[in-house]
Parts: sequence; structure tokens; C-alpha cells
Amino acid sequence: MATQTLYETEREELISGSEAIAIACAMADVDVITAYPIRPYDTVMQYVSKLKADGAFDCDFIVAESEHSQFEIVKHASAVGARTFCGSSGVGWFYAFEAITVTAGLRLPVVAMVGNRALDDPGAFGVEHNDAMAVRDLGWMLYWVGTAQEALDTALLAWRVAEDPRVFLPAAISCDGSFLTHSQAIVNVPTQEQVDRFLPQYDRGRLLLHPDNPITVAPQVNEDWLMEIRRQTDDAMRRTSDVIREAYEEFKQVFGRGDDSPFIEEYMTDDADIVLVGMGTLAMPVRVAVRRMREQGKKVGFLRVKFFRPFATEEIQEALSHCKAVGVIDRDYSYGSPSYGGVLFNEVRSALYDLDDRPLVQSFVAGLGGREVLVRDVEEMTQMVQDSIDSGKVKQVNTWIGVRE
Amino acid sequence: MSTVAVEVVYRGIFQKTLARNIVRTIVFAARKEGKIGTAFGRYGDSPERNGIPAKQFAIVSDSPEELEENLAVYEAREVDVTINVDDTMCKGIESWAWYGLQPINALTKPGGTLIVTSRQTADALIEDIHQKDSAYNLAIVPASTSFSGLWVYKDDHTDVRILGALARVCPELVRLDSMLAALEDQGWGGLKLTSARNTHDRLATRPVEPGEGSEDEPFSFDLPGWKSMEEGLVIKGVEGGTGFRGGSLGEGYDPIKSNASGDTSYEPTRNAVFKKFSTRSMRPVINFDTCIKCTLCWLQCPDTCFDVTPDGLYDANMEACCGCAVCEAVCPVADCITMVNESEFNDNNSQWEHWTKDKDSYHKWMSELIQVQKEKDATRSHGYHSPGTYEAESEAEVALTGDDD
Amino acid sequence: MTTMTQAPPQTVQDLPQVRGVKQIPVFEGFTSGHRTCQGCESALVMRLMIKAAGPRTIVVGSTGCMYVANTTYYSTPWVVPWMHTQLGSSGSAATGTAAGLASLMRKGKMQEEPINVIAFCGDGGGVDMGLSAISAALQHDEYNLLILCYDNESYANTDIQVSGSSPWGANSTFSPPGKVHRIMNHRWKKNTAPMLAAGHPDVRYIATACGSYGPDFTNKIRRALTIGGPTFIHSIDPCPKGWDYDPKYSHELGMLAVETGIWVQYEIVDGELILNGPSRAIARGIRPRKPVTEYLQRQGRFAHLTEEDLKFFQEKIDESWEKWWIPGIVPFGPQEEG
Repeated sequence: MATQTLYETEREELISGSEAIAIACAMADVDVITAYPIRPYDTVMQYVSKLKADGAFDCDFIVAESEHSQFEIVKHASAVGARTFCGSSGVGWFYAFEAITVTAGLRLPVVAMVGNRALDDPGAFGVEHNDAMAVRDLGWMLYWVGTAQEALDTALLAWRVAEDPRVFLPAAISCDGSFLTHSQAIVNVPTQEQVDRFLPQYDRGRLLLHPDNPITVAPQVNEDWLMEIRRQTDDAMRRTSDVIREAYEEFKQVFGRGDDSPFIEEYMTDDADIVLVGMGTLAMPVRVAVRRMREQGKKVGFLRVKFFRPFATEEIQEALSHCKAVGVIDRDYSYGSPSYGGVLFNEVRSALYDLDDRPLVQSFVAGLGGREVLVRDVEEMTQMVQDSIDSGKVKQVNTWIGVRE
Repeated sequence: MSTVAVEVVYRGIFQKTLARNIVRTIVFAARKEGKIGTAFGRYGDSPERNGIPAKQFAIVSDSPEELEENLAVYEAREVDVTINVDDTMCKGIESWAWYGLQPINALTKPGGTLIVTSRQTADALIEDIHQKDSAYNLAIVPASTSFSGLWVYKDDHTDVRILGALARVCPELVRLDSMLAALEDQGWGGLKLTSARNTHDRLATRPVEPGEGSEDEPFSFDLPGWKSMEEGLVIKGVEGGTGFRGGSLGEGYDPIKSNASGDTSYEPTRNAVFKKFSTRSMRPVINFDTCIKCTLCWLQCPDTCFDVTPDGLYDANMEACCGCAVCEAVCPVADCITMVNESEFNDNNSQWEHWTKDKDSYHKWMSELIQVQKEKDATRSHGYHSPGTYEAESEAEVALTGDDD
Repeated sequence: MTTMTQAPPQTVQDLPQVRGVKQIPVFEGFTSGHRTCQGCESALVMRLMIKAAGPRTIVVGSTGCMYVANTTYYSTPWVVPWMHTQLGSSGSAATGTAAGLASLMRKGKMQEEPINVIAFCGDGGGVDMGLSAISAALQHDEYNLLILCYDNESYANTDIQVSGSSPWGANSTFSPPGKVHRIMNHRWKKNTAPMLAAGHPDVRYIATACGSYGPDFTNKIRRALTIGGPTFIHSIDPCPKGWDYDPKYSHELGMLAVETGIWVQYEIVDGELILNGPSRAIARGIRPRKPVTEYLQRQGRFAHLTEEDLKFFQEKIDESWEKWWIPGIVPFGPQEEG
């Protein structure tokens, strides 16, 4: 098999996050992949199609006629037992929204990549997180990747967790447009043997749609049934935490890399007075700024949220319970939300409400439309949080950073 | 301070406008007495299906505050008056799957009234109606069942006659003068007012004692909890069919090739929960001796209701037949299949078994039924005929019931 | 480097053609216990479809009456495996199901065998919303699948609203005749099957059908499932609820639609047009078309039409038979010489 010649030995490659996920698709021996063009996620499909063309792996690669069909096709392939992958960006993700919604309701473990992109209008290619975030209430697991390496690793983790019969929920892997989808980095590509050891075959079991298992899937319900069905999905999402933890421990054993926690990354938070919180590639300038400020003696740390769903409430509470103030940086907006804060901000602030000794929490909206977040922006935000500590309260809850007045 | 609730139980689509006229007029009439009310259809019946039992409600209170206690519900918890506009539903009604056949008087309060449009006697009706623990009253509005299609209303005065009867049995809801005023407001004068007044004046009511009526146990059910429901919206399909009455299909059986022209008897396994036979207002009576085994009744039945007997005949299964009469329409033999009013029957027994056991007895039974059908209820039919026919029919109906004095 | 192509077209089941009603199988894969209307022709179409296809079949059904009325939770009328799909997704559901099976079988992850894949949709799901996905599915000649559009000429499930497949002038809850506008639906029924046939010349089988003709219907399903590649059948289903007639006449109205020339029965097999039954007799002049009034005046949805309206309807049907390049099917033709 060509697959084995490609991935016989562990090796380094200079690849983008999209390419890393395409390689993960091949190594996971995905059965059905659907594509539809939209920047920036579709780079993954360009690599997938090339891998298939070159015989690097065997899958049914279908170019759909719309994002809606793209997601419907993998949904139905998943129901008959196929491992699946697809993805989208921005308004394309929204075009598929009906299919995305029912995939979770049907408890089908589709894995999708979201190349995060601003929503139209106006047309814009740069990163914003609102596209992927729209599924936060629907039963999708939702992960924000920080590096190309993490993109590859997370894809493997995603199939493992999604296809676990205790879970059977879809998973979205969010990659910041441009910074991950179009930027190449050195990535350690594992061997096929490692992947096979970590990732069992997808077995739909009793829920398989097949003439040998004649079931009826998703009959119409009324008010006497839906609440129980919602509760089942809710329980499946509650179960994901343990399954993720278990899979991540095994991932670290098999592949020899990984953080302490699958849910969050903590950077210099131990003795920090101020902890900044963010997701995705924001982490890069923030970590730089944190190091510089530490050199200046400022006790600043950073917490990167990796899994947005399930939201690691307890871990985040624990990580933020010792600091004086928290600054949440959102690469998204939520017009008219509580305090006009970003989505992540309101989630974090809500998670901290139950703490006996709550830190101050402040909201920043930054880097919209793919605008770069600079080290000086991070320093400015940190100073504003420091001002809040000094005055004992947050005077202005939300601030847009780097916006021209 | 009081609240009065009324339900109209009707055949979906065929009597939708009729039911709507009744419940809306109740609210208008109550308004004349300074009361306030609401009218609504049971949401779960929508979208309605031809013939499938449905309900509409009118709830009237002395004050908005009192009315509010009865709002935002799908149906009234109990009703002062149940109105049944097709007497074949006295046997019970099955609206949604899993709830099974429920008594027509299930919601009727102790001491309340059941109004039925019927040409049967009270005793004959009570034989069909499930018994209750408490006493109630039965009032009969003498009339043939009023059916029409959706787009063309059959104005045979059934609506106003029911309303006149209602003012008689439940004056605390609304008095006759208010009812008549509300009818006039809707542009219904002259003969329709006379019909309402006459029905009011002539209405006969018969008390029904506790324990009087059919002893059949209504279907009972337990709704399972979310932990015992299968996940993924999956339910088991119906088992494949068997030979006649559960017998073997035989070694040579081939689902692709075995057909009814050979000696393959067949009985489909049926949905164990939803039967649909309470949708039936007529049932086919079959003359097996004149049957030429053309297969058309079996083949054209939308409800898979015919069992293929060992002698190559087709036995309409009365648990599954919903009385559409397509079999009668497609049968090429004159009088081989005759639709007979459902009220003539007290069981769902197999006609073929009766015929096989005792042909003389069967013929006697069959001939009598056909005769009764011809004499007593020749005009009974579903729905739309052709433009103009309702006017002629309605005049005949009004004259027949003696409302035009 | 080896060249890996998509899997070769899979093998198909042995589904022989039937000669007459008596060869239609006794097998039932769609049994009683659905919540459809009395006399529902679409329920009959479901039943005939699965009788023809047999038990080794997966059916996916898009939203519509045949979903909402058929499958009421915690019970089902389906014997064969069945799954819901979204309103506009019959094409993608068929593609996804067929692709999943093909991939798993090719890779040895699932026992190899020909499994029929059928996706159905109503006219709302097929003629309106799902047209683009159906078109896409018909481009995938590597998958064996059948898309069946059961056309009852309105969104009957949602309360009977006009669709792109509703006839001119029909009453519906979105096109009610009113005091000022008698005709609210000015659109002529979309010519769906010929559009798909013209647009997808590699599709080996596209047909129209009607449940009133049992053996013809059975054979069409079987041809579609055995010819190889994606196929499409458009079925006219009289709807006693939306069309407003006594349910016992469902069968007769289906025949009248054909006999008046309003609905044309045909198959397009490997690029060849074959007219069936009464349509063939009409086209050959062996049998006269019945006046459209025999069909229209049986239905409450046309009760408001005036003599003039009925005349207009008749003229439109006459035109389709007398002026079209292929009578009743293809409206355009080559420019006349000279």
C-alpha cells in the first residue's frame, strides 16, 4: 500500500495546518470526504485531492455542489459506518448550517475542519471566530488549534473521541485562517503504526444503518419525546470530558507529545496577578508579550482555551482562581451581548461566577477580520487590566483594541 | 367565577372547517355575555390528515386572569362538553402513535355532556363508548355525519345545530340568545338561525350511569425515560412478514420473486403501536365467492391492510384498514367489495375466517350489512364530490332533519 | 505509481421485470401503521417502491408527508432500514449513503454485496429546494442510487402550500382564490424529468411514473435499481387532502392525469425515449386525450376555475401535445429550415 511507504517512519515536514489535517485524513484512512471551495479551509481539500490523486490513500472524495450537500453527504456516509471528514469557512459553514445541526442531533461522529473566516457582508478572508462558534449550542465538540502540529494531532484525537460509542458526537477543528491554513511550519508526522495503535476502526454498532440491522432513524417526535432526546445528547456531551482525557493520555503515550491538559494550555499562570485568556493563534503574540512583561517584573500569564465545547469549567475555574484579574481576548463579536463582551468573555465570566473569591474580568475584542494582534496590543490590554486592579473595579468592561476611532 | 371548556372531536381535514366554525362561534357568543375565551386546535394534530381524529377547543372564562390559567396548553385537562361530529369515533380515537386508542369521553368531566351527531339511538352509541367511573350525559343531534373537503365547505347546518345544542346542555357557557346573536354577526341568518333554535328546543339528553358502556380497556402506556430510549434517534424497524397468521413463509420463499399468483400466503408484520383503524368511518365487506383474485384491492391499498390467504384471496385486516375505500373503487367485480358504515360493527374480526368457517352464516351477515348500508346511510361518503353537489346534498340534509319549519 | 480510480460500478441485485399484477411480490417493506391520509397515493408509492426493491435496500427520506406522517416516534411502518434526511437533501443523502457503502466495501471494511440505495423526496424537496443536490447526485456515475420524487403537487405536509410543481390555478393555502385575485398561482408546473434528462445525458435511466399502474411502477423501480449509476423517477401522486376529492378516487385520478395528457408516462433509457401505456397510445393517435375537465372538475382545488380558465388549461395541454418538439415532453426544437 502506498500509505505505508509514505508513513513508514516518523519524520519532519514543512506544512500548513491544512496540509497537516489532510495527512491526518490519510493516516486515519477516512472513507468519505466531501469538498466545496471557500477560502481558507479549502486548502485542506486541495491537499486531500492531491494525496488521493497520487495514491497516498483511498477514499471516496466527492466535490459537492454546495456546503449543505457537502455536510449532508458525510452525515449519511457516517450513518452507514464510514469514517468521514469535511469542512468549511465563514458563510459556507452557515450555508451548511441545517446539515450541521442535524448531524449532532443524529449523533453522527463527523469530523470537520473550520478554517475560521469573517462572515460576509462585506466579503473578507481574514480570521474571526464567529463562524465556528455558531455551533456551540448544538452538540458539536469544538476545538481551537494553536499550531500546525496541533492541527494534525487534534484531527486524530477528534476521530478517536467522536467515534467512541460513549460519545457519538461530531467534532469541529477550528484553524485560524491564514495563520494556520496558509502558513507552513515544521510538523512531526507520526508513523502509520502509531496512528493505527491509537485510532481503532469506527464501529457504529447497534446504530448502523444496514439491511442486516433494519432500524428507523429519526422519526418525527412531539413534545412528549424531544426533551428526553435532548437530555441524551446533553449526557453524551457531559461524557466527552472523561473520554477526551482518557484518549489524550493514550495519545501522549503513543506519540510522545502533548500538554498537561487536553482542554487548556497554561502559560506562566502559576503566580500571575493578571491572566489573559484567548484561543487559536492569538496565543503567539500573547506569549511573546507575557515573556516581555515578565522580564519587566509584571506577573502576567496566559491561558489558552483549546476545547471550547466541552467547556472545561472546572479546569478554567482552577486556573483563574488565584489571580486578581482576567483579561479575555475575543477574536469574535457578539453585538448586544451582556456588557457587549465577546463570546469567550461571557463564557469565562460565567464560569467564574461560582468562585468564592472572584477575579475581576475584562473583555477585549481584537484582531477582527484577520487584523494582526501585536505585542503592543497585548501590553495595552494588560495595562488596562492593571488599571482595573489598581482602582479595584472594572470601569469599562469591554474595549475594542486596535480599532481606528 | 367560572371557566367552561369545550372540545370538538372531528375527522381531520374533512371536518376541519366545521370544527373551526363551532369553536370560534363559542368564543364570539361568550363575548356577548362579557366573558372572554380562546379557540385553538390541538397542535399535535397539525398537519391534519384526512380522516385521522383531531381536536379543537374553546375555553371561556369570566375574566382574563381566569382564562390565563388555561392558556399555553395543548389541550384542556378536562372539558364540560365533548362534541363528537362523527359517531363512528364513539369507539375511540387514535391520534398519535404510542398513545393508542383512547375513549371519546376521556376528557369529559363528571356530570358533563357528550354531544354526538348521529342517526343511531343513544343505546346503540353507548354500546360503543368506553364506560366511565362517573356519570355524564349523552345528547344526540340527529344528523348524518357532515364531511367535506378542505377547499369547499358543505354547509348543511351541522355547525349551527351543534351550537344550538350546546346552548341547551351548557347554558352556563353561553345562552341561546347570545349564540344566535353571534351567528348573526357572522352573517348566518334565516334558515341557519332556525336550525340552531330548533335543535336547541328539541334536543334529547340521556344520563349515562357510571360503568355504563363498553368494557373494553383503553390502551395504556408508559413513556420511557431517556436512559431506556435508544440513542441516535434509533428505533427498531418492523419485523419482516410471515406466512398467513404467523405461519412459515416456506423454504422456497424469495422476497424478490414470490408473488400472490402462486401459493405464497403472506401476512405483513404490522406496527405494534399505531393501528390507524379509528380513522375508519366505513369498512370494506368482501364477497369472497365473487372475487376473481385480480389482486387490485391488495395491490392498490396504501395501508398494506390485506393479508394474502392460503387460498389466494385477500383478507382486509381490520386492525390496519383506515377505510379509504380505494379497494372498493378498484375492484372490477360489481358488489364484490362494499363499504359499510363502521357503526354496524362491534369487532375487528377476520371476514375471511368467518367465511371459511361457515359460508352460509357469512353470506347472511354480509347481505344484511349491504342492505342496511343501502337503505340507512346511502349518502355517506368522504370529502369532495364535484362543484355544486354540496348545495343539493345540504338541502336534502336540512329537509331530512326537519329543521325547516 | 499505481493509478487508483474510483471503484468500478458495483454489481446490482437480480430484480427481474414483472409481467402483470400477479408477479408483483408479496413482500412488504413498508407496512401499515403510518399516519398518512385515507387514500394516500404517496403511501402506496412508498409501498410499491419497496416491494419492487426488496429487503436488501436502504431508504432515506427527506422531510415531507412521507416523513412526518409516516414515522411517528417510537414506532415505524418501515421494515427495511430507513433514515430521515433534510428537505433539500435527497440527492446528497443518496450520494452519501452510496459513497459510504462503496468505500467500506472496496476497502474490505464491510461485507461486499449490492445494496439498493433509494432516496425519496416530495415535490417541495425535489422540484424546488433539492433540485441542485439531485442534479449533483446524477453526475456521479460511480454510485448506484435511485432518487424518487413523489409529486403530490403541493407542500401537503405543511398545510398544502403551492410548490414549483403545483398546476396552474390550483387552490392552496398560499394561493387561495380571493375576491380580487381568482388565480393566485400563475406558474405552470415545472417540467422536471425532461430538464434532468437533458442536463445529465450520461444518466442511464430517468422515468415518470404513477402508482395507479402497479406493474409499470414496479418495473420502473427495478430498471432504475439495476441499470447502474444514478437514476431518477418522478411519480405523480394524487393527494386526497390537497387536491380535495373523496379518497377512494386516488387510483382513478392518477389514471385521469395520464388519460387527459396532463401527465405523460415515459422512460428515458440510455438516451432513448420510451412512452408507456396510455401516453404511448395518445402519442400514436390510437387513443384520444380525454378533456382536462374530466380530471380538473373532480378536484376541489380547481372548484373556483371558470369556463374560461378551464379552456385556458385545455389549450396549454393541447399546445404541449401539438406544438412541442417531443409532444408533452420537450418544448423547444430546432429552428425551422428556410
